[in-house]
Amino acid sequence: MVSVTIDGHEIQVPEGTNVLEAAKKAGITIPHYCYHPALSVVGQCRVCMVEIDGAPKLATACSTQVRDGMNISTNSERATEARQAVLEFLLANHPLDCPVCDQAGECYLQDYAFDFGLDTTHMVEEKRTYPERERRMLGPHVIQNQNRCIHCTRCIRFTREISETHDLTMKARGNHQYIDTFNGEPYDNPWSACAADVCPVGALTVKEFRFRARVWRLEETRSICPGCSIGCNIMIGHRNGVVYRFMPRENAEINGWWMCDHGRFLAEDLNARDIDRPLIRSGGQLAPATWSDALEELARIIGAGTDARVIASANLSNEALYLAKKLFAEKLGLKMLVPVETGPGRSIKNAHKEWIRSEDPHPNATGARLIGLNVGDASRLQDFLITSSGPVVILDAGAHPLLASQDIIQAIKNQPIVAMANAHTPMTRAADLVFPVASWLEAEGTYTSSTGRVQLAERGAHPSDEAKAAWDILTLMARALGADPGPVTRPQQIFEELAAEVPAFAGMTYRRLSNEPGVPVLEEVAHVG
Amino acid sequence: MEPILLRAEHETNSKALTTSLKLGGYSALKKALIMNPEDIREEVKKSGLRGRGGAGFPTGVKWGFVPQDLPKPKYLICNADESEPGTFKDRKLIHTDPHMLIEGIIISSYAINAHTAYIYIRGEFYEEVQILEQAIAEAYKKHYLGKNILKTGYDLDVYVHRGAGAYICGEETALMESIEGKRGQPRLKPPFPAVVGLFGCPTVINNVETLACVPHIIERGADWFASIGRPRNTGPKLFCVSGHVNRPGVYELPLSVTYREIIEKHCGGVRDGKKLKGFIPGGSSAPVLPASAIDIKADFDSVAEAGSMFGSGALIVLDETTDMVWLLENLLTFYTHESCGQCTPCREGGNWALEIVRRIRRGYGRPEDLETLERISQFASRGMTLCPLGDAFCGPITGVLTHFRGEFEQAIAKAKPLPKKKLPALPVRSGRGTFGM
Ligand SMILES: Cc1cc2nc3c(=O)[nH]c(=O)nc-3n(C[C@H](O)[C@H](O)[C@H](O)COP(=O)(O)O)c2cc1C
Ligand code: SF4
Ligand code: SF4
Ligand code: FES
Repeated sequence: MVSVTIDGHEIQVPEGTNVLEAAKKAGITIPHYCYHPALSVVGQCRVCMVEIDGAPKLATACSTQVRDGMNISTNSERATEARQAVLEFLLANHPLDCPVCDQAGECYLQDYAFDFGLDTTHMVEEKRTYPERERRMLGPHVIQNQNRCIHCTRCIRFTREISETHDLTMKARGNHQYIDTFNGEPYDNPWSACAADVCPVGALTVKEFRFRARVWRLEETRSICPGCSIGCNIMIGHRNGVVYRFMPRENAEINGWWMCDHGRFLAEDLNARDIDRPLIRSGGQLAPATWSDALEELARIIGAGTDARVIASANLSNEALYLAKKLFAEKLGLKMLVPVETGPGRSIKNAHKEWIRSEDPHPNATGARLIGLNVGDASRLQDFLITSSGPVVILDAGAHPLLASQDIIQAIKNQPIVAMANAHTPMTRAADLVFPVASWLEAEGTYTSSTGRVQLAERGAHPSDEAKAAWDILTLMARALGADPGPVTRPQQIFEELAAEVPAFAGMTYRRLSNEPGVPVLEEVAHVG
Repeated sequence: MEPILLRAEHETNSKALTTSLKLGGYSALKKALIMNPEDIREEVKKSGLRGRGGAGFPTGVKWGFVPQDLPKPKYLICNADESEPGTFKDRKLIHTDPHMLIEGIIISSYAINAHTAYIYIRGEFYEEVQILEQAIAEAYKKHYLGKNILKTGYDLDVYVHRGAGAYICGEETALMESIEGKRGQPRLKPPFPAVVGLFGCPTVINNVETLACVPHIIERGADWFASIGRPRNTGPKLFCVSGHVNRPGVYELPLSVTYREIIEKHCGGVRDGKKLKGFIPGGSSAPVLPASAIDIKADFDSVAEAGSMFGSGALIVLDETTDMVWLLENLLTFYTHESCGQCTPCREGGNWALEIVRRIRRGYGRPEDLETLERISQFASRGMTLCPLGDAFCGPITGVLTHFRGEFEQAIAKAKPLPKKKLPALPVRSGRGTFGM
């Protein structure tokens, strides 16, 4: 550890820390554009100038390592003027059209200009523009407006150092240089939208989100990506129950600062709801019903049926899976299966520059295994259903693609079918009883990643209309089926019971999951997966 | 002074190895290869030789920065990018005596224990590339290069690498990026090239003229070399003089002669009997000095004292007809065109300054413009930029505004108000400054 003084605050930081990070520790923001903690330090934007006692010149905070006893000033007259000048240079050619720029609200040029810049400019010349690159699809997801680019090269370094796809580059030079793909082909890689995340300004924006919402009007909820077993940490941006976007949320161990395009663009799926109240088949048609009628119907179906079979889902939370196991397998002695599939390979780079890979498209297959549920692939699912003769309870209509296949539906259509879903699938249309389940945003729950990290996805909105969280529905089902689980009011209770009973989760507390920055890793779990 | 670097200037077939040998070429090499490399470094340090590429850094000291105990290969680079407007001495040297340079490269490589050397040469120097290739081939034949040089056990290979037309690739780290096949733009320092240079290995980079001095120091001793010029400013120097003189060209003179001697005695005075208005002492990035500075010494320290930069020793002479607003526009056009663009003050500030000066020249100057120009030059130099190219375009601004501010004020006083409509676009000019008026 070395001891440095920044604007009069003395702090201790590990050797090798740069001045910018050290200041961050002391609670002092040094504006920066080209610097990004995940990317190589290039010292190009020159906005992070600080004054160091004894040094004749100002220094760039991002590329200067602290030395013991260093006395750094971020707000001396010289440092302040230098920063103002660099911001003025950056703004000189920047189109000052913030009101119509989609980056406004999360634009670092705007923010730093307000906090550290001059309130006027000396520039009266015609601004530089790039007429052919003002609004163009750089690739399937990323839109470029080169006029707004501040040439920080973060996007380029992202493609070189993180995605390792080397697609972006700087073309031409000097005042006319611009960002383009290396070979002129569309900018397309599995993480392409992250280039827009690292872009500090509105030069790169994401097509799917652009102009859909002003960011300052969005609520943000800390969640986990439902797209695969890696469990990238995300922030869901939403408003009035409508989901607008997923953004990666920093987690050094799992996803660094990144997420893949596949996961990111699942956001829109959360808005696809057409089941918002219980449905019971009567006279050949599915008709809306009350919760009490629906639960009575469930009791009738399960109570009457022999050999009911339950299909759980590797997309459900640890709490829902635990409750389901307790109720259906342990109390009622029914057969249960968690179907899983092999998905396309996904990968993400963590903050230690290690790739994490997965071909498991479910967010919680690991949790299902640890809880002790039967996990099986498509052929086991097929056998499981074809050999059944009684009612079939499907806890997640989207648990497996086979559940949407007509062959399977034909095979079981004469048996009673119960399903939980928030949007219709061929299976729900064939069902006799449908429970409306909350969306990923509307329910909180924990999920166990393929690397053994138990992570909490928080709830950002109340379930719409009559929908309920899966754990809530399962509690109601248990009561209706005469297996009272006691007074369960929060998923935390279920998790605590789970942690007490399932050895792999021993010692975990919900508080640790929800309060700790990053994700706690318990040894017992860490080596799983 | 007897010619040293240009001793072969008037020989017929001066480029040939036979001519070189006749004039004493490669005898220093034989001497050097039986010396201890450390002693060569010491001798060069003692000679006081300072880099001829612009910064004037003591060569022996630079060589001493190379860590000798790292297990990595070491490289020597000869910087023959020579692209600063007004500078054409390296070209002259290569034309006159390519073997002198090669001998210098071999001795210098030996001194730092390098076994590979690169000559990075400006792409437009096509003829010079051929001259060098020819001379290198001759040297290989004679076992001055290659394996087991002159049976001493020392190996060295020399490669000529052509640039692709960027002034910035003369900057040492941009040059290394360019050799590595990357976009030619300067690296962030530290680490410095002596420790992490070409291909991540310790590297010494020296100018053509610097390296050509080395055989003479070894042959005739550090004391002899130091006796030329004055303390801290030692040795012979190639002055390349352009602009408004009767006899422009390259002159070899001792460091610390006066500018008066160069202009009046060697170059035959200002062209057409006109009066001297000023001169740029060190290549176009050096701030212009007024005619009254003509009696200062042409060396690193005197020119720095006078508020300019000795640089590569390229002298550009300006007579009384020179329009200083035009001069600044011309220089800024060059530097703006050559900015690599990676850092903000140079990329944005250079072009901004150019636009202001162009506007003044077109008769639309505003009183605030000079302050803005000064503001730009204050914040695009002295460490505000990643490499010294920021300083290179700020030098001309401060030079003309210090010594010829009146001309700008006059232009602005006569100016029309800025029109409401856009000014019609100016034709895009070629980036290279031209002085052949
Ligand atoms: C923009 C820029 C251009 C340069 N161009 C050249 C050049 O063309 N030739 C050269 O020898 N040095 C040039 N230099 C200086 C080199 O960076 C380096 O200092 C020099 O080659 C070192 O050699 P020396 O110590 O022998 O002078 C340039 C520097 C800058 C900043
Ligand atoms: S597009 Fe954005 S990230 Fe890329 S260089 Fe420009 S400002 Fe930086
Ligand atoms: S000062 Fe100019 S040339 Fe040098 S690194 Fe910065 S932009 Fe490039
Ligand atoms: S953040 Fe330090 S130079 Fe860009």
